[in-house]
Amino acid sequence: MKRRTFVSGTAAVAAAGVVSTAWAASIKPYSWDLNPPTDTRDNFIAWGTARGEDPTFLGQRWDRFQALLRNKDIWGPTTIRAFLLTPREEFASVNPAIYKRAYEHNFLDIGYGVTMSGPHLQGRMTNVIDVKRGEKVLEIGTGSGVQAAYIANLTENTYTIEIIAPLAARTRALYDKLIDKGYTEYKHIKTKQADGYYGWEQAAPFDKIIVTCGIDHVPPPLLQQLKAGGLMVIPVGPPGAQRVLKVSKTQGADGSITTSREDIYGGKIVPFVPFTKLDGDKIAGTHNR
Amino acid sequence: MTVSVDLDNRPSLSFYLSVGLVAGSIIALQIGIMRVFSVGSWAHFGSLVVSLAMFGFGLTSAVMCVGKGWFERHWQGAVKGALLAFGPLMVVCNLAAQQVPFNAIFLISDPMQKWRLLANFVLYFLPFLAGALYLGVVFLKAQKTFSRVYFADLVGSGLCGLSVLLAMYVFKPDDLIMAPLLLWLAGGVLWFVALADRRGIAAIVGVAVLSAAVHYAAPPLLGIPKLAVSDYKGVSYARKFPDAVRTYERASPFGYLEVYSSSYLHFAPGQSDNAAFNVPKMPSNAYLGLYIDSEGPSGIIKDLPADETPYFRYLPMFYPYLLKKDPNTFVVQFGGGISTAVALKSGSKHVTVAEGNPALLTAFREDKGLRAFTGDVLNNPKVTVIDFDGRLYVAGTRNRYDIIDLSLADSAGLSSPGGFSIVEKYSYTREAMSAYMRALAPGGILSVTLWNKEEPPKSVLKLYATMVAAARDVAKDKGGSGDIANDFYVVSSYLSTATVLYKRGGFTPAEIAQLNAHTKAMSFDEIYAPGLKVDEAPLPQILQDYRDQFFFAGTPADPTAPSDKEPNDKPPPGAPGATDAKADGTPPAPVVPATVLGRLAWHYLINGGWQEKVADQYVFDTRILTNHQPYFAAYIKVGDLLKFTDRLELVQDEWGYLLLWATLGIATVFALTLVLFPVVFGWRTIFSRYPGKVGTLTYFLCLGLGYIIVEVGMISHFILALSNATVSASVLITGMLVFSGIGSFFSERYLDRARSFMPKVFLAIFLILVFYAFTIDYALDWIGTLPYVLRILLCLLLIFPPAFLMGFPMPTAMTTLGRLGKDHMFLWAWGINGCFSVIGAALVPIVATSFGLPAVVLVGAVAYLVALPAFFSVLKPLQPQAIGVARPATA
Repeated sequence: MKRRTFVSGTAAVAAAGVVSTAWAASIKPYSWDLNPPTDTRDNFIAWGTARGEDPTFLGQRWDRFQALLRNKDIWGPTTIRAFLLTPREEFASVNPAIYKRAYEHNFLDIGYGVTMSGPHLQGRMTNVIDVKRGEKVLEIGTGSGVQAAYIANLTENTYTIEIIAPLAARTRALYDKLIDKGYTEYKHIKTKQADGYYGWEQAAPFDKIIVTCGIDHVPPPLLQQLKAGGLMVIPVGPPGAQRVLKVSKTQGADGSITTSREDIYGGKIVPFVPFTKLDGDKIAGTHNR
Repeated sequence: MTVSVDLDNRPSLSFYLSVGLVAGSIIALQIGIMRVFSVGSWAHFGSLVVSLAMFGFGLTSAVMCVGKGWFERHWQGAVKGALLAFGPLMVVCNLAAQQVPFNAIFLISDPMQKWRLLANFVLYFLPFLAGALYLGVVFLKAQKTFSRVYFADLVGSGLCGLSVLLAMYVFKPDDLIMAPLLLWLAGGVLWFVALADRRGIAAIVGVAVLSAAVHYAAPPLLGIPKLAVSDYKGVSYARKFPDAVRTYERASPFGYLEVYSSSYLHFAPGQSDNAAFNVPKMPSNAYLGLYIDSEGPSGIIKDLPADETPYFRYLPMFYPYLLKKDPNTFVVQFGGGISTAVALKSGSKHVTVAEGNPALLTAFREDKGLRAFTGDVLNNPKVTVIDFDGRLYVAGTRNRYDIIDLSLADSAGLSSPGGFSIVEKYSYTREAMSAYMRALAPGGILSVTLWNKEEPPKSVLKLYATMVAAARDVAKDKGGSGDIANDFYVVSSYLSTATVLYKRGGFTPAEIAQLNAHTKAMSFDEIYAPGLKVDEAPLPQILQDYRDQFFFAGTPADPTAPSDKEPNDKPPPGAPGATDAKADGTPPAPVVPATVLGRLAWHYLINGGWQEKVADQYVFDTRILTNHQPYFAAYIKVGDLLKFTDRLELVQDEWGYLLLWATLGIATVFALTLVLFPVVFGWRTIFSRYPGKVGTLTYFLCLGLGYIIVEVGMISHFILALSNATVSASVLITGMLVFSGIGSFFSERYLDRARSFMPKVFLAIFLILVFYAFTIDYALDWIGTLPYVLRILLCLLLIFPPAFLMGFPMPTAMTTLGRLGKDHMFLWAWGINGCFSVIGAALVPIVATSFGLPAVVLVGAVAYLVALPAFFSVLKPLQPQAIGVARPATA
C-alpha cells in the first residue's frame, strides 16, 4: 500500500510540474461553432495553433485521426470534430511516462490499476453510440477523463462516475484546470465519486450509457436508468483485447421490456484492436504481410 | 583457525548435512520466488524467471570448467565467499526486484516493461549463481565420492522442498523468503562446523541476522513494499475500495487466502439482464470477495432472507431446478458457495458438496465471521461435505443424484490481462463428465456452466465437444443406440456464461417447452434443444471471418491510401456503407457470430461432421479435454504459432501458453551457449585429450532432460489422485529426489560393474516408464478414492521404482569421470545436466498440451533409452598426453 501512495505521490508531483509549465498558455474558449479543418494537416495544425495548442501534439492528433478514418473507427462529423478538439496529451499528463505517448494506439497506464484506453477503441465507442446534442449520457469509470471529454463535445449533459476516490479527485482537478485554461467544453461534464454500479439516480434516465470497467454481469440499476430504446456499451475482456458488448433496451407494444446483447459492430466480425502504430510521425501497420 | 579437509575421503556428517541444506535452500528459493510471482503478479512469468535463473548452474559450470585450476587452488575461499553471499543476495535481490515490478499487460505496449522484466531476471539470477558456485566447488572437490555427495544433494533438496510447504503455513508470501534463508543459515553453519572454522560460523550468523533485519526493517523504513502486488491483480482493486475491510486471511500451501468485505463488491455471475426489471428486491451487500493469491474475486454469498431469493432464478445455475422438485443434489465444487446456496434455496432435500481445497473448507468451517455470514452453510444438517475433489467422489460413490452442478469454478471469468497459466482442469475432462453422467439417478440432470467471455469463443467450444464425447461414452455402456440428441439443452448469454444441461434418459417435449419459456424470460440465447433447426449456410463465412480477424491478408496500409484498402474491415452500424435496415425498413435482428457458431457447433456435434466441418477449419484449437490433456489452454494451433508473433496483443489470454514457447526458445539458446562455451574455448586445449565428447554430451543431455521431464510430467499426472497441484508437486519433488538420492547412494556399490550393470538399469527405467505412461491413470484413479494419507503413501510407493533407478545414472557417470581424472568433463557434464533440465522443464507443458501427458512420460523414457549407448562414451579413459599415441579405435 505504501508503494502505491509513494508512486501516485511521485506522479502527482511530476504531473504538477508538467501542469505548471503548460498552464501558462491560454486556449481560445469553447463554443459549438468551433470547427477544426479536416482538409489538410497543415490547415489543422495552423487552426489548432491559433487556438493555443501545441503544434507537435496537433500533428500527432491529425495523424491518429487519419488512422482512425482508415480503420473506420470514426466516421460521423460530430465525432470527428470531438476527436480533433480533444487534447489527449492533457489527459495523459498525469503520468510523465505516458505524456508523450498520448496519441499511440495503445492503452496506457495512468496509475491505480487503471488504463487510458487507446484512441481507436474510444473513437469507435463514441461514434457507435451516436450521441446527439442535448442527450443525457452517463459514463461509468471516469479514469483519465478523456472519454467524457469526447462526449462533452457532443452534448451538454455528460455525467461520469469514478469509484476510486483519489483518481476521481485527480481527474476532477484536471477538468477544472483545463476549464480555467480555456477548454470550457468540460463544463458540460458532471463528475461524482461513487460506486458506478448504482448509476446516478438523481440524473436518470439516460439516453446512452458507457461503462468502462468490467464485472461479471451488467449492473441492474444501470439497465433501470437507461431509457427504453436506449443503448449501453460495455467493454469485456482484458485491456487492449476488449470486445464491446452492446445492450439494447426495448419496450414492446405491450409495455414489456426486453434486452438484447450484441457486439458494437452489429454482430460483424472485424479486427477490433487497431493494428497501426505511430512510429515517429508515420503510421506503421503491424498486420500488413 | 581451520582444519584441512579431504572431501574425497570420509568427510564428516556435518559436511553432508551442509550440502543437503544448501541444496534444499536453492529449491526453497525457487518455490519462494514462484510464490512471490503468483501473489504479486503472474505465476507463469515466475516460472520463466525461475527457469532462467537456474542457468546459474550452467554459467557456474562453464566458468569453472574454463578456470578449473583457479577454483582448485582457491576452493575454500570460493565456497566461503559463495556461502556468505548466498543468503544476503536472496534477501536484497528479492527486495530490489519488488521495486522494479514489471507489468505483463504492458509488455507489448510499453517499451520500459522489457527492461523491468530483464531486471527481474538479473536480480533473481544472482542468488542462484552463488548457490550454484557453492555446489559446483563442493562437487569438484568431492568428485571421487560423488555418489554420496549427490545423495546428500538430492535428499536435502527433497526434504527441504517439503519443509517449504510446511513453512507456507508459518510465513505469509511476503516473508516466505525466510524459509530458504533459514535453510541456508543452517547449511552454512554446518559447513563451517565441518571445517572447525569459528570465525566462519560467527560471520555467517552475523550476515544472516543482518539479512533478516534488512528484510523486515528496510521496507517500513524506506516506505518500499516487501512484495509488490500489481495494481492489476483483483485484490488491489478491493484494497482501494473506501470501505474495504479484510475479514479473513490465512497463508497455507493451498494458497494465500484473503476475504474482503465492501459495499463495492457486486456479484451475480451470469445474471440475466432482465433481472433489472423483474426482481422485486435485489439483495444488497450480499457478497464477500474471496481472493486466492491475490486473484479473484470469487463471491461468497450471504445467507439470503426469503424475500431476496427470487434473484436466484435469474442466475444460469438455476436451470435444473426448473425441472426437478425436492432433488438430491451434488455440487462438484463449493468455491464461494453460490451453487450450494442456489441448491439449498431452490428446494433440494439434500446437498452433497465437494471441495478439493482444504484451506477453503477450514475458512468456512472455522471462521466465526464467515460462518455467521453464510448461515454456517457447511454445518447445515441438509449439507454433506466431501473434502476432496467432487470428480473423484462421484467416480467412486454408489450414491445417485437428481442434480449434479458444476458452475463457474473459475473466479472472475475466463479473461486475464496477464494471460493464463497452463493448469490441469481435471474436473472438466471427458472422463470426469462421464463420471458425473453415470452418477445421475434416472432422469437426473447434469448442469455445467462456464464463462463465455471469449470472442472468438474458445473454452465453451471445448466444453461442448467434451460433454458430447462423454455422453456418447455413457450411451455406449448402456448398450443403447448411442443416440444423444434428446439428452442436451444448451443456452448462453453473449460475453457472459454458457450452460449445458444433460438429462439422463433425455428431455421430454414438455420439459423442453418449459426450458424454452425460461430462456425467453431471461433473454438468454438458445444454443441447442432437441429438434432445433439450424441453418448451415453461414458456417463457412463465420469460420473465414474468425480467421480473418487474425490473419487477413491485404496490401500494406499506406497512410495516404483511400480507406477501402483496409481488408475485411466492415463498417460499423451507422457508418456509411453499413446496412442498418432491411428493405422494408425494419432493423435487422442482431446477429452475433459467436452465438451462431455455438448453434452450428451443437448441430454438427450431435449430427456428425464436427471435426471436418468445424474443428479443422476453426482458427483456434477445440480439442476435447481428457485426463491426458486436461487444459482449457493452448488454443493457438502449433502451425499458426509463428503467424502470431507480430500480433501478440490480439491473443493476450494466450500469453501464458506463448510464454512456454518463449521460455523453451530462450532456454535452448542459453543452454547451447553455456554448454558449448567451454568446448569452443578449450577445444584444442582442455578437451583435446577427452575422447567421446559427443557421447558424453548426449548422455548428460538425456539425463538432464529425462529426469526433469518425468518429474514435472508426473506432477501433472498425480493431480489425478491428489486433487491439488501444490500437494502433488510436493509429494513428487520430495519423493523423486529422496528416492533418487537413495538410488545414488546405492549406485556406489555397482561402480566397478557399471559397464555391465548400467545398461540393465537404463532398460529397466525405460520399461517402467513406458508401462507407467499407459497404465498409471488407472492406478491413480483408484488411489484417488482412498483416504488422503493412504493416497500420499501409495503415490510415493508408485514413484519409488523409477525414482530409485533414476538415481543411478548421474552419480555413476560423474564418479566415473572423477576417477578417470576427466575433471573438466566432470564440470562440463554437471552444467549440461543443469542446462538441459531447464529445457526439459520448459518442454513438458508444450508436449503435454500438444500430445498429452503420456507422451511426456514417453519422451522421458526415450531419453533414458538413448542414454544407454551414450554411457559407454563416459567410460572411455583419458588419452595419454604424449603426441603420436593412437586414439582408441572407438573414439
